[in-house]
Amino acid sequence: MDFVSELAVARYEKIGEIVGKCVEKIEKPRTFSDVIDTVVTDKYVGIPIFLSLMWAVFQFGYSISVPFSDAIDVFFAWCAGIASRIENPYLASFLSDGFFGGWGFVLVFLPPIAFVFIALTILEQTGYLPRAAFVVDRAMTRVGLQGKSFIPMLLGFGCNVPAIMATRTIDDEADRKITIMVNPLMSCSARLPVYVLFAGAFFKESAGAVITLMYVLGIILAAVMATLFRKFIFGGSPSPLLMELPPYEVPTIKSALMSSWLRIQIFLKKAATILFIGAVIMWFLATHPWDATNGGELIENSYASMIGHAVEPIISPLGLDWTAGVALVGGFLAKEIVIGTLAMIYGVGEEGVADVITQHFTPASALALMTITLIYVPCLATLGVVRQELGSWKWTGLVLAYELILAYIVALIVYAVASVVML
Amino acid sequence: MIKVALAGNPNVGKSVIFNALTGMRQKIGNWPGVTVEKKEGVCKYKDVEFHIVDLPGIYGFTAHSIDEKIARDYILKEKPDVVVNVVDASNIERNLYLTMQLIEMEANIVIALNKMDLAEQRGYKIDVRKLSRELGVPVTPTVAVRGEGIEELKSAILQASKTKRKPSIRYSDGIERYISLVESKVIENSILPDCPLRFVAIKLLELDNEIMKEAKVGKEVIEKWISLVS
Repeated sequence: MDFVSELAVARYEKIGEIVGKCVEKIEKPRTFSDVIDTVVTDKYVGIPIFLSLMWAVFQFGYSISVPFSDAIDVFFAWCAGIASRIENPYLASFLSDGFFGGWGFVLVFLPPIAFVFIALTILEQTGYLPRAAFVVDRAMTRVGLQGKSFIPMLLGFGCNVPAIMATRTIDDEADRKITIMVNPLMSCSARLPVYVLFAGAFFKESAGAVITLMYVLGIILAAVMATLFRKFIFGGSPSPLLMELPPYEVPTIKSALMSSWLRIQIFLKKAATILFIGAVIMWFLATHPWDATNGGELIENSYASMIGHAVEPIISPLGLDWTAGVALVGGFLAKEIVIGTLAMIYGVGEEGVADVITQHFTPASALALMTITLIYVPCLATLGVVRQELGSWKWTGLVLAYELILAYIVALIVYAVASVVML
Repeated sequence: MIKVALAGNPNVGKSVIFNALTGMRQKIGNWPGVTVEKKEGVCKYKDVEFHIVDLPGIYGFTAHSIDEKIARDYILKEKPDVVVNVVDASNIERNLYLTMQLIEMEANIVIALNKMDLAEQRGYKIDVRKLSRELGVPVTPTVAVRGEGIEELKSAILQASKTKRKPSIRYSDGIERYISLVESKVIENSILPDCPLRFVAIKLLELDNEIMKEAKVGKEVIEKWISLVS
């Protein structure tokens, strides 16, 4: 006798009995909610509706946050400017480039994240998100993921940190692990400046196409890796998506703000500490040994330069030199640092980098660098959150290892193909 | 101080009720050893402090998913004074499935019958008093998004914490024979004396891995017990 189902039957029998006594049902025509559902979960228009809504969320989040980010940027630049006038050069360098530069660098990302959170929370409260998961489930199942993985994957285009935290809604452990492990391949917004800079400098008119290519490459690789992980590590198949579609509701602003605030706090606590420490480490590496670099003036004598030269033999087959090496090592802390590091090494402002890089890179090696930036190690904040959500160093190590190897192989292919095609 | 746990299916408005009860007096963390979010908060009512924990949204108490295991362990081991079972009135049949299992666990339940407005819109007329009598559990109708019924819910929680009722519901005779047989064996062998008897018996019947492990009872033993019936 199967008592699991026997008991389920017994419980439902009892429920039926009680409900029969206490609940009266007056038949009503289809609810408004049902009508909306037939449209948004439609086989054909469902996905376009979903994509436009998501686009609207990101557009809202990023465009509305620009003035806030600018204000934060200006404020910390101002603080750094004041700090740089301090008599003691060591303290001045630490405070302006390390401390204020670091905080500014971290907090600039707060507005977009906060606004995207708020927009998503509102969308979540309307009850639409379960429909979205339902709509994309079929496509996701094909690559060994499930519908609920889609929201985290999509969030990855913004920032992988909240995206990976969003995997908590996936209840199946294997599904959740796979989603976390391939999430860093979704090209986050921190990688965009690198694409923009290099594509703009080397591919002029077709820059847009090259950037799009990077995003598509990320998606394809995520699909490939998810399929491989499913097949060789986890086995089985994605758990079927069984979910109820709750009725639509008008979101309440108060509750939306409260829920977003809790999430923002988590971001501030976890990511900010990691990002801030990262910025300070980068400052330290670029300015020490203090005497040898003449107080941060001579970057060639710094630890950063030593690291770059150590990495150079590995990346020279990709057409990259030691400067790219330092930038990539810096990019491990956060991908935004790649450009900042290059600017620091070439001794030009961030605006001047575009001119200088044409002397250090070829179109093919630029593509290789963009490819590596896309794939290699997720930034420190992402790695931290991967560790936290996977709950083990072993799995985190696997993520790190596969991404390094994959980045190298794919970049090698890209460099080889581009070199041949562009000759 | 009263220990209160919020339990319910996903999407029943549990978080809204949690927010309404605790306001901004809440903190967010993780359940020990896992990465599932744990929300806790405090609510003061008539000079009594309610310490409220928001359990993950679940459909049952198997040990298959982390969420269900967390909720089950919390109720069994932390023994909250009151379990507020948030029930979606517009989806009452499916929601009561969890209620049945909470009753099996002999939890001191208060039902927040939420989304009453929606239930009405959908054409359900629910006799709340009768429902409360049938289930043997206090039921408070709420519309949490509009803050309706929250004060009444607080009062019901306080009331329940004083009376400490253990609800019980009998199923059909067929299955009850098995349950009472296993219950007698559980008593005989003093298995998991700290857990509610009926719950242990039912989980053993269901061959629940976790409970079998904790009770140190194998599948064969249970099957032997079962064969005694009939």
